[in-house]
Amino acid sequence: MTRQAWLGFGFLAPATLFVVAFFLAPVVMTGFFAFTNMSTATGITGGTYRITEGVISRLAGSEDVPAPLIEALGQQQSVVDPTGLAALAQGDFDAAFVAELEEELGGRTFASQRELEGAIRDLDNRPRRVRDIKAAAELFERSVLNVDFATQADFAEAIQAYAGPVPDTAMTALARAAYTGWSMTTDNFSRLFNSPELGTVAVNTVFYIFATLTLFNTGFALVLAITTFYLPSRQASFFRTVWLLPRISPPVLYVLLWKWLAWDTGFLNAVLEPLGVAGRNWMFDSETSAWTFVILINGFVGASMGMIILSSAIRAIPQPILYASAVDGAGRLQQIRHIILPQLRWPLLFITSYQTLSLLTSFEYILLSTDGGPGSTTEVWALAAYHTALRNYAGNLQYGYGAAMALVLVVFGIAMSFVYLRLFNFKALVGRPRIEQ
Amino acid sequence: MRSERTWPITVLLAAASLPLLVMYAYLILDTFTDSAPGAVFPNRFTLEHWRFLTERQGSRASIWQATLNTFIFATSTTALVLFISSTAGYALSRLAMPFRRLFLGGVLILHAFPTITLIIAIFLILQMLGLYNTLTGVILVKASLELPFGIWIMKGFYDTVPWEIEMSGIQDGAGRFQVWRELVLPMVYPGILALGIFSFLSGWSEFILPQVLAPDASVQTLSVYMASLIFDDQNFNFNLFKSVGLFYMIPVIILYLVFQKYLMNIYGGGTKG
Repeated sequence: MTRQAWLGFGFLAPATLFVVAFFLAPVVMTGFFAFTNMSTATGITGGTYRITEGVISRLAGSEDVPAPLIEALGQQQSVVDPTGLAALAQGDFDAAFVAELEEELGGRTFASQRELEGAIRDLDNRPRRVRDIKAAAELFERSVLNVDFATQADFAEAIQAYAGPVPDTAMTALARAAYTGWSMTTDNFSRLFNSPELGTVAVNTVFYIFATLTLFNTGFALVLAITTFYLPSRQASFFRTVWLLPRISPPVLYVLLWKWLAWDTGFLNAVLEPLGVAGRNWMFDSETSAWTFVILINGFVGASMGMIILSSAIRAIPQPILYASAVDGAGRLQQIRHIILPQLRWPLLFITSYQTLSLLTSFEYILLSTDGGPGSTTEVWALAAYHTALRNYAGNLQYGYGAAMALVLVVFGIAMSFVYLRLFNFKALVGRPRIEQ
Repeated sequence: MRSERTWPITVLLAAASLPLLVMYAYLILDTFTDSAPGAVFPNRFTLEHWRFLTERQGSRASIWQATLNTFIFATSTTALVLFISSTAGYALSRLAMPFRRLFLGGVLILHAFPTITLIIAIFLILQMLGLYNTLTGVILVKASLELPFGIWIMKGFYDTVPWEIEMSGIQDGAGRFQVWRELVLPMVYPGILALGIFSFLSGWSEFILPQVLAPDASVQTLSVYMASLIFDDQNFNFNLFKSVGLFYMIPVIILYLVFQKYLMNIYGGGTKG
């Protein structure tokens, strides 16, 4: 390779490192997480193997695990094992008793502590006091209930020691049920396609994108660009600045201003109440009013991008054409219809495709204003994914399911990005450098 | 054609702009005044809404801590983006190297890609790396997500530098690195300035990333601070919120007024909303 190529790789190395670590890795990992059942309950690092009451009730009626085994797992039993015998030898017991117990009962399993006590009473060297017999029997009490095992092998060993030999299929089913960490699954996607709530959310999303896009991001942007073109330049730049305010304001502040406008004690009510309109919180009053505000809030931000792009496209039209049309007697409307609008076809296509993707994926303004409310009437897809995986009132965050919802957006985003490349002439953008050393 | 009357247009635009005019006028007005409940106009001048500058709000960290965090967050991401984009942009614009088309195509696709969809995976990855709830983590993420955009913009600026400048540098015996450092880089200072201001403003206003990745009081930025103030139902005071908001927006207003021309180009490229 040439020195120039090495310099190129050196210059690209930091960018590649960052982009791979925090951009490409999340893209790939979204796909990975979507196939897991990660949640607050499973944690995100590994888990342990543990039989709990919940596991036992879930296993009831299972075909793989025999019912007696399940029942045994839920109970305590007494096993005369080396651990217990060692503990007995350490304790304050007669050596002859310890030796006899090991010889007579070693390795045996009793269904309850009481049965073991009965067996101990039959021994010759048994302790004299009942309390001591109970204390001795207690040392052999065994249960796998609520005990954590780090690996599946440890778990299997403990179960076998506790309940005797277990067939492999039963052990696999048992281990899967007892695992507290996350595991791979395709359940998220069957949930995704069968959930009626998500169906509503999808409809909301389409409505939200369509309404915001047509009314503001292209519609009103067009009005702004054309009207400011015909205004004296001072007025025009005043209005452009005003319409840029939503875009340059931090979203938290911008949405706060809308909240103030719509609040119970806000500006709208202060103006409308003297006119006889009953006071209310306009942002949450009804489904219609909530949607109106969501679209206004997003549309007022979105209009400015179209305004800038379309304004510069209009300014790029050669002035003589416009003068000539005016001389020929064309009015403003005719100019707009026959000269300006045809020039805006490509910019409008760009804005439409860009903003569709942007509206589909960004949920910041809805989160800050209605947060999907009232109820979940203004919940859109991206916000639903956020609520599922990162923040909800129930506190049960379903990372895996949320990632599956996000994956739908990621796939759509990648597809749309390729569409841009085709639309906006990839070859010209990546032309070869002209210095070859 | 501009001699026709324009006042109907002015009236139409003014009416459509009314919500914005009202909101931003009252943003400033309400921070210095009090109004009677339900009144449209304020009736009293006061400075008490600005007490948050010296008093803590509930159990929150002081506003200055949040301001410092925001400043560190915005300047660090800007520095990273500028440094990395100005080298990578040059490589993609000017250096003949293997896989160049692949890199360019990658940058272009990522530039168009909606980064916010990755937030769930990023949250889990930062948890696994132990960078959750740290400024470092959220800075690395923000810079990385902004890079494709920054590289693309810088490549555009490098593309406008005449080839003759580099040719003459190389004919005088300088290496490509030296040519970049001493001849080409000074030519794209306007680009670096524009990208720097844009990155700073974008970092300063960023809400979702710090909210999800670094919500703790000790690392929270002004956007997270303000959002938590508003979500707290105990103390609902729009005048206070607006004062905090105006304080938060001051650097934005200043930078915008000074660098409006530079920013227009970049906002036209569009990155949000």
